[in-house]
Amino acid sequence: MASTIPASGFELLERTAELEALAGALAAVDETGRGKLALVRGEAGIGKTALVNSFVESVRGARVLRAACQPLHRPSPLGPFLEIADGVGGELARVASGGPQAYALTAELVRELAAGPAVVLIEDIHWADEATLDVLRLFTRRLATVPALVIATYRDDGLTRSHPLRALLGEFGARALRVPVVALSPEAVAHLASESGVDPGVLYQRTNGNPFFVTEALAAGGSGVPETVRDAVLARAARLGADARQLLDAVAVVPPYVERGLLDQLVPNADDALDECTTAGMLRVDAGRVGFRHELARLAIEDSLQPGARRTLHRAVLALLLEMSGDVDPARLAHHAEESADTESILRFAPEAAARAAAVGSHREAADQYALALRYGSEVEPAQRAGWLVLRALSCYVTDQSEETLESLRLAASIYHELGDDVSEGHARERLSAYLWCPGYVEESRAAGLHAIALLEPHGPSPQLGAAYDQMAFLADQGSRPDEARLWRERLLETSIATRDVELEILSRAEGPEVAFAVALENGLIGLAGSIQQEVAGAPLWQRRYEAADHSLRAALAFHSDHGLELYRQYVLSWLATCAFEQGRWDEAVDWADEVIRTPRASISPRILALTTVGLVRARRGDPDPWSPLDEAYELAMRSGEPRRIAPPSAARAEAAWLEGRDSEIAELTDVAYALAEARGDGGIIGMLGVWRRRAGLPVQLIEGVGEQHALEIQGDFAAAAALWAETGCPYEAALALAATDDAGSQRDALDELHRLGAEGTVAAVMARLRRTGVRGLPRGPRRTTLQNPSNLTTREVEVLRLLTEGLRNSEIAERLVLSERTVHHHVSAILRKLEAGSRTEAVARASTLGIF
Amino acid sequence: MPRYVVERTFPEGLEIPADAQGARACLGIVERNADDGVTWIRSYVTGDRSKTFCVYDAPSPEAIRRTAGWNDLPVDRITEVRVLDPYFHF
Repeated sequence: MASTIPASGFELLERTAELEALAGALAAVDETGRGKLALVRGEAGIGKTALVNSFVESVRGARVLRAACQPLHRPSPLGPFLEIADGVGGELARVASGGPQAYALTAELVRELAAGPAVVLIEDIHWADEATLDVLRLFTRRLATVPALVIATYRDDGLTRSHPLRALLGEFGARALRVPVVALSPEAVAHLASESGVDPGVLYQRTNGNPFFVTEALAAGGSGVPETVRDAVLARAARLGADARQLLDAVAVVPPYVERGLLDQLVPNADDALDECTTAGMLRVDAGRVGFRHELARLAIEDSLQPGARRTLHRAVLALLLEMSGDVDPARLAHHAEESADTESILRFAPEAAARAAAVGSHREAADQYALALRYGSEVEPAQRAGWLVLRALSCYVTDQSEETLESLRLAASIYHELGDDVSEGHARERLSAYLWCPGYVEESRAAGLHAIALLEPHGPSPQLGAAYDQMAFLADQGSRPDEARLWRERLLETSIATRDVELEILSRAEGPEVAFAVALENGLIGLAGSIQQEVAGAPLWQRRYEAADHSLRAALAFHSDHGLELYRQYVLSWLATCAFEQGRWDEAVDWADEVIRTPRASISPRILALTTVGLVRARRGDPDPWSPLDEAYELAMRSGEPRRIAPPSAARAEAAWLEGRDSEIAELTDVAYALAEARGDGGIIGMLGVWRRRAGLPVQLIEGVGEQHALEIQGDFAAAAALWAETGCPYEAALALAATDDAGSQRDALDELHRLGAEGTVAAVMARLRRTGVRGLPRGPRRTTLQNPSNLTTREVEVLRLLTEGLRNSEIAERLVLSERTVHHHVSAILRKLEAGSRTEAVARASTLGIF
Repeated sequence: MPRYVVERTFPEGLEIPADAQGARACLGIVERNADDGVTWIRSYVTGDRSKTFCVYDAPSPEAIRRTAGWNDLPVDRITEVRVLDPYFHF
């Protein structure tokens, strides 16, 4: 049983509400067995650490695991979680020591914490490396089943829009308990200053009630108040003796803390000086490590060092670290090498640190470490430099730094070209081809791929050549050139057999996708496994087998979520939106699409589909501003020049124009995509666009591959089209086709169905058209019969209700539907209210009596 | 953030008692809206209480509909609006 006792021992002013919020969250975790994330935020020096320390000291009956992120430019990958694993020991430490992927470490952490209530505290996540944020993201997604209160603290001042933490905070959304830490009141500042002789008004005005600044200013002594935090820290340090000051300087160059053993060698016989510094409250000794009481103080001292003295200190630290036995983190060595301006050491340790970071998925840090090494790239052999450029490009790509990726690869390719190394150049150009496609540079991508093959083919079968064939097959598929794709696949298969390379074997799918998936998993090739999962999940949707698609897409989403495959996850979310949308489940479709649109990403395909879905839902409902999302989607798609990306927003814009009665614009809105599809013979797209072009009175030539539903509409057999659409599971398309028949009864049925779907925009458009053609006796205005089922439940609510009948808890429903628990909570409340049920059990019973399923 | 007027119809008439229970109902709506970044500014109610015109700040029409679902409120029509102040020029 976890509980908290009131904090005691030191004065923490005006934090009662924050402590109560955290204590309440822990009590709820203990009671329900379900985890919770608490985000403690505030500016530097506002007292986040003091608050969480006070909370942690008050915790009883729950284990506490804590660690902090490091204030380094390039922090050690997974730093905080490795520290936690080290403290826990056992299986977690074993997994952590092996350079684990984020998902593997998360899985072990979940197992470790399954037993009982725990508090996991990660401080300063604004400094976290990418792999640490990944673990935090994956762990938080699974919190519903782990009895842990995760507390993360971060500085919210100076978090730029592109800060990696931003996206994560967005994903946490309403699921997290947010605990802002605010400045002290004038009264609290006056209370702290009461015995100092300092004017409390001036102190408050200058410090803005920032507790760290207040404490430093008071500790600086004298009756004046320093102008800045830095002045306050330096004034305080100036009161120390010479030995103590020397020690302070040494500690300042080893963030975030220095081991006692290292410090003893750096500053011999410093026990008295250390005592002086700790007594003065500048330094803290904790578990054999010495560090500053606050990072702001360390920064102030480090910045005040003369450049020469600072470099000498860093050199001394580097030399001592190199003498230390055991595994010294290369990121740490690279940091001191850089500060020492020691080129040789930078070139040795930065690439080492980069490789280690990339291995655990800290690609942002890996890219930065390679960038550091490349700054001195003129000192090494060109081949070495080109190798680093390629590796940097891979890390930049994963972290969405598209321009840097392309630039690094182009540079690497030209270096290899000068060296006459065809195979390496071919590999660089194959990667270039892959990375050019995602942001939409399709023609350049194709040129790079062909160039790679021209370079590689003369050297016989190789893994690089096979990868280039696979890339070309992919491009041919995307460009609606299936015959070309088949040819590339044949060559891929031959190369796979000749090289017996496992990755090529997986890519060629020679034994079918299931076997390829299993082989990829066996070999730990998670990214490849994800890409197969992707292919398998999408297929039923493109074939309009919706029941299978609902199932396969959710399975893929779970796989990608668990394994941190964020880019694939975006694709699947956009397909889930399309899948729900085509089945008339628009509330759900918009929920999925919103999740894609919220996440800034360089990859345009998911965004195009998500924006198209949202725009069309608005147009059909008659909601405001359908055109902004549709236009953005179209512009993104046009950049790629690919029919498959251009077609969905083109068809959507045609429909939106038709709904607004502007039929004459349909030709222009669809011309580009239609011409491309005609040239490539892509029947799927001809059908999608053809139905709107025909409604606008344009001739449509049917070709092979046009979907049967579309073909019937284009031939004018709307009754048959409607029946087939209904059978397929597309109620909106069925209703729209029905409304186009000549039969008055059918037209009325169509309008009823459109009302049921909430398509008031379409209802208005259809009625206007029918009136124009002389149809009389139509209902005036929307009827009040938008009942979706006996109790007016929305489709999403019916879905939640269905899971309630399975006996699932909110957390499980949230996980199943990939919604936030908060949202599920709202849905359940709405269901209870609408069914007038007092409990979940009663709701389930009423659902079956009312015949909702 | 865009501003919207949301028209709602209550065939049985809108019933919000002018007591603590009514206040609680309104605050519940406000709190649920906040989860999706939706702010209820004010509403105008017809004399027979069968129709309301509600002014909202919201990130999108979808957010309006989503929170309406959470609050079990009907939505007839959503219109995006801008402020026109007749006294602005004086």
